[in-house]
Amino acid sequence: MSILLSRETRVLVQGITGRAGRTQTKWMLEYGTNIVAGVTPGKGGEEVEGIPVYNTVTEAVVQRGAEASVFFVPPAAVKAAVLETIEAGIKLIVIVTEHVPTHDAMEIRAYAKGQKVRLLGPTSPGIITPGEAKMGIMPGNMFTAGRIGVISRSGTLAYEISGDLSAAGLGQSTVVGMGADAVAFTNMPDLLELFENDPDTDLAVIVGEVGGIQEEKAAQFIAHHMTKPVIAYIAGRSAPEGKRMGHAGAIIQGSMGTPQSKVTVLQEVGVEVAEYPLQIVELVRQHLIHV
Amino acid sequence: MRLYEFEGSDLFHQHGIATPEYAITTSPEEAREKAQLIGLPVIIKAQILVGGRGLAGGVQTANSLEQVGESVHRIMDRPIKGFPVHRVMVAQKVEVEREFYLGVTVDGYNGTPMAILSARGGVSIEKLARTHPEQVTSRHISITKGFSLSEAQEMAQEVGLEQEELEQVADTLHILYNVFRKYDALVAEINPLVRTSKGRYLAVDAKVEIDDSSLYRHPDLQDTLEDRILNALERKGHQIGVTYVDLHGQIGIIASGAGLGMASMDIINQKFRPANFLETGGAITAELLYKVMDLIMQKKGLKGIFINLYGGINPIHDGARGIVSYIREHKVTIPIVAKVLGNRQEETWEILKQQGVTVVTEVATEKAVEQLAQLLEGEK
Repeated sequence: MSILLSRETRVLVQGITGRAGRTQTKWMLEYGTNIVAGVTPGKGGEEVEGIPVYNTVTEAVVQRGAEASVFFVPPAAVKAAVLETIEAGIKLIVIVTEHVPTHDAMEIRAYAKGQKVRLLGPTSPGIITPGEAKMGIMPGNMFTAGRIGVISRSGTLAYEISGDLSAAGLGQSTVVGMGADAVAFTNMPDLLELFENDPDTDLAVIVGEVGGIQEEKAAQFIAHHMTKPVIAYIAGRSAPEGKRMGHAGAIIQGSMGTPQSKVTVLQEVGVEVAEYPLQIVELVRQHLIHV
Repeated sequence: MRLYEFEGSDLFHQHGIATPEYAITTSPEEAREKAQLIGLPVIIKAQILVGGRGLAGGVQTANSLEQVGESVHRIMDRPIKGFPVHRVMVAQKVEVEREFYLGVTVDGYNGTPMAILSARGGVSIEKLARTHPEQVTSRHISITKGFSLSEAQEMAQEVGLEQEELEQVADTLHILYNVFRKYDALVAEINPLVRTSKGRYLAVDAKVEIDDSSLYRHPDLQDTLEDRILNALERKGHQIGVTYVDLHGQIGIIASGAGLGMASMDIINQKFRPANFLETGGAITAELLYKVMDLIMQKKGLKGIFINLYGGINPIHDGARGIVSYIREHKVTIPIVAKVLGNRQEETWEILKQQGVTVVTEVATEKAVEQLAQLLEGEK
């Protein structure tokens, strides 16, 4: 079933009655996602696109058997809503919301630690298993089913690179948007591990960008634990130092987070790094021929 | 959002971390008055939102009132590291016996706060951690349990502090963590904390950065964010709700996501130079893209515009309407190439084409940049 999400997954939409929640619910349903419930406190009893809305996550779990949740909840409400959702026993939580306070994100991670829940985001475009289901905001027409796993810090680049691969006839098993903030709920190595263990994935593509140390840690993981090939691209090679490039986590500070350092450590462990997005297609092709 | 040194010092002061006596001034005359009250000698420090000001001449010692006036005049006379200086701090010069480094920051990868302490201050902590790792200690803090005074004391012990020094430094680090938490900081740093010849412990510098996403919880600070953005175009970007980064080239960029914006910048950079980075975020409307066009057109010497949008969460057809009304009303004639994909893309392409925008329907940004290159070649 590729990773994390399949057509069977029973999905809950939190913040379903808001503008983004409504529109995205429609598109997720059209894509084939098995949405079973929505939650907006105070809006219980309503319906959105024929999906019943509940006041609490527990109701959605008990009444409709929801097991995964995608968030269109305003940033200030995310922390309390995540804690409620973990309490209710949901196993996969995807936070699309941007601008979640960093201290809230740290508290959420501390709370989730040791519990059997997988969180993606904040600022995640979501997750898509092409041809089966999507949780999030990705435009479905960029993706095709196949055997390449994609992990991206950026949403729009996940679309672009999946679209490049699709146009070349190279489909994706699952595309995961890990989110673009300084604190991500799930780090890149943990996602690589899922693809390494997934029988439906032959090769992983990581789409990184300036700032932080996700790619450096991914390189360490690849060196010691990956048997499948990994191809990388790092965005922001021409980014100036000290400027936040739109993402809270995308900032070069001194020698920290430079694209050069990321490219070097990845190359040192044998990962081929594309200089521009389209080159990923060539590199993937070469590897698949070798396989 | 980075705070000015004096704002950080004010916060420290309010929470029980002592600082040398200081005052903020905006003119040499006022500085002389303040220096007289504080007592000579004093240190004059430029208040700018960038590090490394000392090496750039932004920190000077003055031993007489005459020197105070001269120093202030010199510091305010020209930009330091590209930043105009509107305010200077006049601070009591203390006799330093020992310096320490204290910091609390966010470890993004581990998702926890991290306290850092060194018995050597006044130097770059990154450098010190590389050259003398035994002199630096750090620990991850459980954000749910908090950071106890005894943990701070253990850290002080780890860098070899004893007795009063241990108590004082640990106390200060403990308070610093509480300031970090209370103000939703990404960084709270004292470099250095000094022990004076009189046995006092004083924070002689303050670096505090607040998380932009948390400013709604600190309304007094939120109101000041805009004034801190010194570049006029970047400030305008902030006003209309997009991220604009001013660069030095001729090609204007509009992208609907940060990653896509950076990739566009990198690809354009192979042939041309980007004039800006611009990311709209997920709230595109016709009105927003009209304003975005207006913003990027303000850059002098623009030769072409590259538009790269995905309709994931964004209604791109609506955005396209804003772009074309700007082009029509302002009779824009430089080449514009747009690659716009996602929900309702065909409708969007029609809207753009009717106003003379070159529409690229392929996925690859590289192909769209080639289009723009051809158009620009044709112009020559």
